[in-house]
Amino acid sequence: MAGVADGRPAPARYGLVSRLAREQYRALALARWRIIAHSLRSRRGGLDFGATIMSYVMGVGIALGPSVALGMGAWVALTHHHPLAIAGEFWAVCLIWQFLSAMAPALAGQNPEMNHLLRYPISFGSWVLLYLLYGVISPSSLIGALWCVALWIGIGVARPDLVGWAALVLAVFALFNLLLSRAILAWVERWMAQRRTREILTVAFLFFALAVQMLNPAFYQHRGRLPFGLKRATVVRVGSEIKGLQEVFPPGLASDSVLRHARRQTAPSAAALGALLLWMLAAGGTLTVRLRAESRGESLSEAPRRIASGPRAEGRRRQTGGFSGPLAAVFEKDLRYLLRSGPLLYALATPPVMVFLFSSMYRQGAWSSVPRGDALPLSLVWAFLGLTRLVYNNLGAEGAGVQFYFLSPTPMRTIVLGKNAFYLLLFALEAAAISAMIVYRFGAPQASVAVATVAWLLFAIPANFAAGNLLSILMPYRTSLTRMKGEAGSLGNTLLSMFIQLSLLGVGVAIFIPCAVFGKVWLATPLLLALAAASLFAYLRILGNVDRMVENHRESLTLEVMKAR
Amino acid sequence: MDTPAIATRGLTRRFGEFTAVDQVTLTVARGQFFGFLGPNGAGKSTTIKMLTGLLAPTSGQIEVLGLDFAAHPIDVKRQIGVVPEGLALFGRLTASEYLRFVGRMYGLDRATVNQRTDELLEFMNLANEPKKLVTDFSHGMQKKLALAAAVIHGPKVLFLDEPFEGVDALAAGSLKSMLQRMTARGATIFLTSHVLEIVERLCSHVAIIHQGRLVANGSLEELRAGVALAGDISHEKLTLEQIFLRVVGGTEANGEEALQELSWLA
Repeated sequence: MAGVADGRPAPARYGLVSRLAREQYRALALARWRIIAHSLRSRRGGLDFGATIMSYVMGVGIALGPSVALGMGAWVALTHHHPLAIAGEFWAVCLIWQFLSAMAPALAGQNPEMNHLLRYPISFGSWVLLYLLYGVISPSSLIGALWCVALWIGIGVARPDLVGWAALVLAVFALFNLLLSRAILAWVERWMAQRRTREILTVAFLFFALAVQMLNPAFYQHRGRLPFGLKRATVVRVGSEIKGLQEVFPPGLASDSVLRHARRQTAPSAAALGALLLWMLAAGGTLTVRLRAESRGESLSEAPRRIASGPRAEGRRRQTGGFSGPLAAVFEKDLRYLLRSGPLLYALATPPVMVFLFSSMYRQGAWSSVPRGDALPLSLVWAFLGLTRLVYNNLGAEGAGVQFYFLSPTPMRTIVLGKNAFYLLLFALEAAAISAMIVYRFGAPQASVAVATVAWLLFAIPANFAAGNLLSILMPYRTSLTRMKGEAGSLGNTLLSMFIQLSLLGVGVAIFIPCAVFGKVWLATPLLLALAAASLFAYLRILGNVDRMVENHRESLTLEVMKAR
Repeated sequence: MDTPAIATRGLTRRFGEFTAVDQVTLTVARGQFFGFLGPNGAGKSTTIKMLTGLLAPTSGQIEVLGLDFAAHPIDVKRQIGVVPEGLALFGRLTASEYLRFVGRMYGLDRATVNQRTDELLEFMNLANEPKKLVTDFSHGMQKKLALAAAVIHGPKVLFLDEPFEGVDALAAGSLKSMLQRMTARGATIFLTSHVLEIVERLCSHVAIIHQGRLVANGSLEELRAGVALAGDISHEKLTLEQIFLRVVGGTEANGEEALQELSWLA
């Protein structure tokens, strides 16, 4: 304890490069290094680290192509006098940089380390510096910086006299992007810190991603023409207005500064750079305001609000259905969980949307040669996909609540049956929506095909549930109902569940296609019904053994599902 | 003689080479407020997990209210209530939804579930947050909810793992009164806690587990007498903390010596 025991600490200086700050940077770097070193001690940690390195290498590899394009684009723009092209490049760099940066926390959660640092006597300046340093090594910044270098090389090769000025402009532009991305990130993190806003953002992002998919058929159906019936004159008019407007924003200012310098217009070039500097300061100011609030101990947790006084809200007795008992309790609980989980709702909404998209191609695209009689069975396969995560890991979302199932007098068989009944209802709704869409777009299928499809479902549903119940007990993994991200331990379960679903589809195809080829589609129905009887028998056998299996895997199941992250 | 509320014989749990609980034999009479103590890692939670069916024993026997747990797990579970270490809550439900769910899982009819849910929420001061999800509750509120869930079906034996940790003083007072009334009406409470003052105030009987083995078991008076006899001191002065420290091998003097080492502390 020497040094500490000497008594009072010297009056502290908290500058950005003070002795204390330097010690703190060193300690932090050492801690980071030790965390990496410790993670390498386990095989899984080593794999994770290797995967991270690989993802960085792949990211750089993927970014290299656009880098070459950007560099060549800058060269062409300057040598062939296309000022809008170089502005477009600056805009592309800026938008992609910000987009990648903003997406990171939406998928991976907030970075808690920065907030943990606030426990220590770290100066605000040092904290901001570290926050920016974390930003510099983020994939979005590395890619953005690489692209800025590419632009600089392209400009330098085209006009060697611009090398110095372009470097200055691009450095300010890159710094602006870094500050803006960190400011956006800080605000996104602020929203992500609270469950409600986090869920709203996640759902908004997921449905935005789904909506983007809808653009594909819009463009697909209007090949050679402008989408959505737009007129060329309208596009040109809006384009010219945007051209004028973009010049006051940082990418426009940066490209303008370079281009004016190329034309020897020193004063306007410097003015554009000055305006860019002002934007950079504004981004820095926005970031500082947010970080200042955080550094002063802003509470973003889900801490309980002050208990409201007055009469309790009405409607607490609202319950689903009119039946009671453990089976209904499980059913009702899972329904509430579903309604409160954005990713699960997204997973359920995706199959009908995808079927709609594919049906567009099926009607008039490259797949139009595929017989339309197959549309219904093929589409119903999609209905299963939305339920995969639920059916094949039906205890994974319970968290600590899974203990309750072991404590309650309700047999696990009843609990699993309640869950399966709920999934059956969900599947029925999905299948009904998809079938209605298919019938609307293609007309009613042949009776023999429809009956064979129903027979296949009677085979596939119990088989899926039986396999799902088995995997849920033997290969469970903890799953989050609020985030869309890879879960530790999910890979084996996911691969197996996909294999099983493909096999069930394969069995159906193997029976249906030969029958159709020989013109005896009706024969598929009794064959599939025989398989349905076998799969129902297997389902009931597994259900009957659920309690014994759960008993045998009680510890590993509880451990996996309750695992802290 | 009445059948004991809880009886274990040779209860053992091994994790690979490590023996977490070793040949624990104890009896808890009906109506007792029983404190189960031990240092960190002594085997308390492992024991309570085995007593409540969360963990299978490697060997040994557990009887609750005269029923063999291994042979009649469902019947035993109907009679017991548990606040386990992980609280066993469903975070994505509201408090009332969770209690109704638990009540129905114990087979209570809807009217009873509704009535008890309302009463418990009022009692636990949780009634004013009807729309808040359990996951957004503070730790103390979650604890109170877990306690409410553990008693909604009127259990005859209640297992509580650190029930007062994180609960405010007001709520803790109400809970203690509630638990004492339960024992007065014949319920048995099996409690673990690191707060020895609470155990001393509430419990009539105490067992101490250390390194997986039961090292003391009896009423507070019996423990005092035993420790006093071994140390040749007057037993009337001994607090539960002193008994505990002597039984598990620590002494207050050791603690003072350790503090001397940290002389730089203010």
